[in-house]
Amino acid sequence: MIQIRGVHKEFAVDGAKVTALSPTDLDVRRGEFVSIIGPSGCGKSTLLRIVAGLETASGGTIAMTEARSPAQRVGFVFQEPVLLPWLTALENVRFPLDTAGVARQEAEDVASRLLRLVGLAGFENALPRTLSGGMRQRVSIARALSYDPLLLLMDEPFGALDLITRDRLNDELLAIWSETRKTVIFVTHSVEEAAYLSDRVIVMSPRPGAIRSIYEVDFPRPRGEATKLDPAFHHLMANLRRDLQ
Amino acid sequence: MKSLGRVAETLVALVAIVLLWDVYTRFYDVPEFLLPAPLSVWSAFIEAAADKLPGHVLYTVGILTLGFTIGAILGVAAGVALAKSARLERWLGGPILFLQTAPKIALAPLFIIWFGLGLTSKIVLITSLVFFPVLIGTLVGIRSLDTRLRDLARVLHLTLWQRFRLIEFPAALPEIFVGLRVGAVQAVVGAILAEWMAGKQGLGYLMTFASATYKTPLLFATVILTALLGIAVYQVIEWVERRLLAWRETP
Repeated sequence: MIQIRGVHKEFAVDGAKVTALSPTDLDVRRGEFVSIIGPSGCGKSTLLRIVAGLETASGGTIAMTEARSPAQRVGFVFQEPVLLPWLTALENVRFPLDTAGVARQEAEDVASRLLRLVGLAGFENALPRTLSGGMRQRVSIARALSYDPLLLLMDEPFGALDLITRDRLNDELLAIWSETRKTVIFVTHSVEEAAYLSDRVIVMSPRPGAIRSIYEVDFPRPRGEATKLDPAFHHLMANLRRDLQ
Repeated sequence: MKSLGRVAETLVALVAIVLLWDVYTRFYDVPEFLLPAPLSVWSAFIEAAADKLPGHVLYTVGILTLGFTIGAILGVAAGVALAKSARLERWLGGPILFLQTAPKIALAPLFIIWFGLGLTSKIVLITSLVFFPVLIGTLVGIRSLDTRLRDLARVLHLTLWQRFRLIEFPAALPEIFVGLRVGAVQAVVGAILAEWMAGKQGLGYLMTFASATYKTPLLFATVILTALLGIAVYQVIEWVERRLLAWRETP
């Protein structure tokens, strides 16, 4: 559903040209969960931000089939929750709907349903400052889903959380994904996270940022503790680690 | 319980000061025109309160409110304009810094020459005192917007107006209130000064009148009332701030 062809990004630092991302091709199928993994400076976030329209590519094309209105076709989950601190959890989730002019009642229904989906029923009226880091990030995910985007882009969404919260949110993300059937592009620097979540893992290498290898991941779903014990899972992680060297 | 104890401590300290003051004036037999006894300040206050004092207080509060409101609105508007236009800031940044650091009190006589002895020059003085701190607060507040919030606005395809109204302005409010608080203190100073210099109304006028006629008890009463007015103005701003900015991480 998304075709990336020859997308690259250069910028100038003190007159010298720096390549953040060399020409990259990537196809993502509808409903697929793709992870992009790589060390910092490999251009993985740049690629994601270009797809989101947060940065403009120096060249190349991105085609989205079955794209509806160009506005709000992608949901974006940042590394930090980036909630509006003066709005309650519910108001944060319905914020994109309110700004897009969706009727009050409809926005309210969608937002409360999504808060339930991310396990925050009962926290509708809580301000972000009263929520834990993990809960804030769940609100952020619900907000990204509120306008029902075709594509969900996640930029190291759990990178700032502790490992226990991270593991739990990984499982919840998979549950949400299997319920909503979104296409997900997930940027991470965690080998385990990439292997556990994805249908496909893309390894990128730095200087200049480029795709180094691609792994199909066909562990059965739903995944769980059994997946993490599977020798094939560890074999995959070893391969990913080797490619990251 | 703790706050109640603190209030009690403050009260005890106040009573102690007034008592010391009273004992001092009695013991050393200080003439009234130099340092009146607390009781005579109080009776001067009661006498004035029954007479023209409420009118003077209302007048001062009136010009204070008007000048503060105009200064705050202009300050926010100018701050937004400067934050949004790099060119405007290049052109006006220097002059504004000059005007901001210049003591505006020194401009008061000039305002009287320009705008006369009436209400206008008073309002202009107060407005100019409020304007700059609010402008700086607004400018800093909007400039220091979290870049991640900017990204969010882009992902959600907000219009420029939505971005300003729903994200930038609320996010800048804490900084704007820093400016408003400084401006409020300045506004009280400006109002009193303006009334000193011209006119026959307001607490500032009452001070000059009491001083010129050696009505020291009345002068004392007016000074204390002015201080209380300053505290009240500050409290009002703080109250509004607490209500509007209850969402902040650190209160």
